Amino acid sequence: MKFSSLKGYAFLYLVFLYAPIVLLPVFAFNSGTIIAFPLKGFTLDWFRDLFANQTLGLALKNSLIIAVSTSILSTTLGVFAARASTRFKFPGKTGVMGLIMLPLVLPEIIIASSLLVVLLAVGMPLSLFTVILGHTLMATPYAIAVLNAAFSSLDRSLEEAAYDLGETKWSTFRLIILPLVTPGIISSALMSFTISLDEFIVAFSLAGKETTLPIYIFSQLRFPKQIPMIMALGTCLVVASIVLLATAEYFRRRGLAKTGAKDTGGFL
Amino acid sequence: MSQLNAAARAPLDSRAKMIEFHEVHKYYGDYHALRGISATIREGEFFSLLGPSGCGKTTLLRTIAGFEDISSGAVLIDGKDMSDVAPNKRPTNMVFQSYAIFPHLTVGENVGFGLRRDPRSKAEKAKAVEEALEMVGLKGYGARAAHALSGGQRQRVALARALILKPKVLLLDEPLSALDKKIREQMQVELIKLQREVGITFVLVTHDQEEALVMSDRIAVMFEGEIAQLADPETLYRRPNSRRVADFIGVMNFLPAQILGEAAGHVQLEVGGLGRFEVTEEQASARASGAEPVVGFRPETLTILYEGQQAHDREAPATIDEVVYYGDMTYYDVKLDGVDAPVRISMRNVFGRPVLDVGTRTRVAWSAGALVLFR
Repeated sequence: MKFSSLKGYAFLYLVFLYAPIVLLPVFAFNSGTIIAFPLKGFTLDWFRDLFANQTLGLALKNSLIIAVSTSILSTTLGVFAARASTRFKFPGKTGVMGLIMLPLVLPEIIIASSLLVVLLAVGMPLSLFTVILGHTLMATPYAIAVLNAAFSSLDRSLEEAAYDLGETKWSTFRLIILPLVTPGIISSALMSFTISLDEFIVAFSLAGKETTLPIYIFSQLRFPKQIPMIMALGTCLVVASIVLLATAEYFRRRGLAKTGAKDTGGFL
Repeated sequence: MSQLNAAARAPLDSRAKMIEFHEVHKYYGDYHALRGISATIREGEFFSLLGPSGCGKTTLLRTIAGFEDISSGAVLIDGKDMSDVAPNKRPTNMVFQSYAIFPHLTVGENVGFGLRRDPRSKAEKAKAVEEALEMVGLKGYGARAAHALSGGQRQRVALARALILKPKVLLLDEPLSALDKKIREQMQVELIKLQREVGITFVLVTHDQEEALVMSDRIAVMFEGEIAQLADPETLYRRPNSRRVADFIGVMNFLPAQILGEAAGHVQLEVGGLGRFEVTEEQASARASGAEPVVGFRPETLTILYEGQQAHDREAPATIDEVVYYGDMTYYDVKLDGVDAPVRISMRNVFGRPVLDVGTRTRVAWSAGALVLFR
């Protein structure tokens, strides 16, 4: 087969994209403390350190609390907004939707500093809760974008048919609409979760005394001794992400197969 | 085919009123979608709303279902005013243009969807579902995934799902438009039979005039939010009340006419190519679209005469201008002597009778009784 320049480009692109991720586990199992070749020997010490580290455990717990809350909140808000924007007409709709989607393009540092000013002004103490608020603000536009696609592909007469057959508006939503947009809801929840989990700037500004995973990792990067452990942590996160994405994709495809809908692209 | 439907049943006028429209108006902002619709649909009637897209026929259907509020007037079903009744409380069910089959449910779950609030036992409901499926020719399909069905099968599921609730009125929004020709024609006949079997009032929306003629007891032809003519298929076809209705239903030939006078219930005319003759007042009640009167006649009311054949009534000399062969039929465009615009004549092809060539001189048999005068 001819090795065309286009194929070469694609190959380099993939190397550029994935080489750092491949290096993570390599150094996570390397017994040397310096991140450099040649490798010294195999060890599980860094993983032992990782699981013994209580500050890290707390940071992880905080991050999971924030990410799960953000995921639920932004997806719930996203469902309402996507439903409103695909199903109803009301004055000022374009303007309202535009404003909701604006955080997509606002620099995070602007969001973080303005939120900080507002929270301090109203006298709300900085905590995990304020981080959740900030992350929800950031993740909701993404959730709406994903859910809008799911809602707008619904045939409106499905709703009318259920209503016509004696169901109420609420039971129609529960029995017909919700099951059909479930793949979209899964995608949205997963995306919001990921956005929140690795978000640094807003978390750093709004967490007060609390620590989240990215804040902890960033703080440890200053200590070269800690870097192999961070590599081990990174390895765990990569594995967890792959498992999570694969699970979500499995459910999404199963949902598609059940309704016979056309696959319009998922994560994998 | 409409006779097949209308046969052996009580005459329409003696039946109870099922749906009544009283001066129904509907505005979308400034747009006047329904302009004072008044009509009565009788119990057990197969009624069609026919018109081009944007004429308000679907809007009118949706006011029966309750999906559209009306701006003024009243819609009554079985004598009851429906203005405060939500779609889920109305004695109507609908078959949607897209069929609206719930893709995440099986065929059986789709058909039984409306029975969720029914107090009957599970076994009784399952039996009702099976009966409904059998009625539409899908016996044994209950466990299948609904999304795997063909267009025609979805259509049947939608019918079974609507009919299982035994509504007083079944509403059909362009139910056959997504099917290909063969299946559509088959479904037309099946729908007629089904309607007679269940005896429920059917209201059908269609833009297909042939479909309306085939299936309906009566048809309301709509243009721009108004009913232009409400009549049985034969009256609509033979005696359209305006040039616009005549144009919309089937093919009609038009020739300019000159009115010479009126006397004793007859109108004397002179028409280029046909000469002088008279028509009855009844034939002369249709409206023209312009100021000039025209006579109209259907392609099958004229006959091309072969050598040695005699006209029963009148004949006119003509030249064949165009021939379109359809197998069972041949359409001839012929120019009557003294008229520039050709008229279309349809002839059934008979064994042993040749199809004529373009340019052949011929004679055309016609009868004044088959004409309509638009003035």
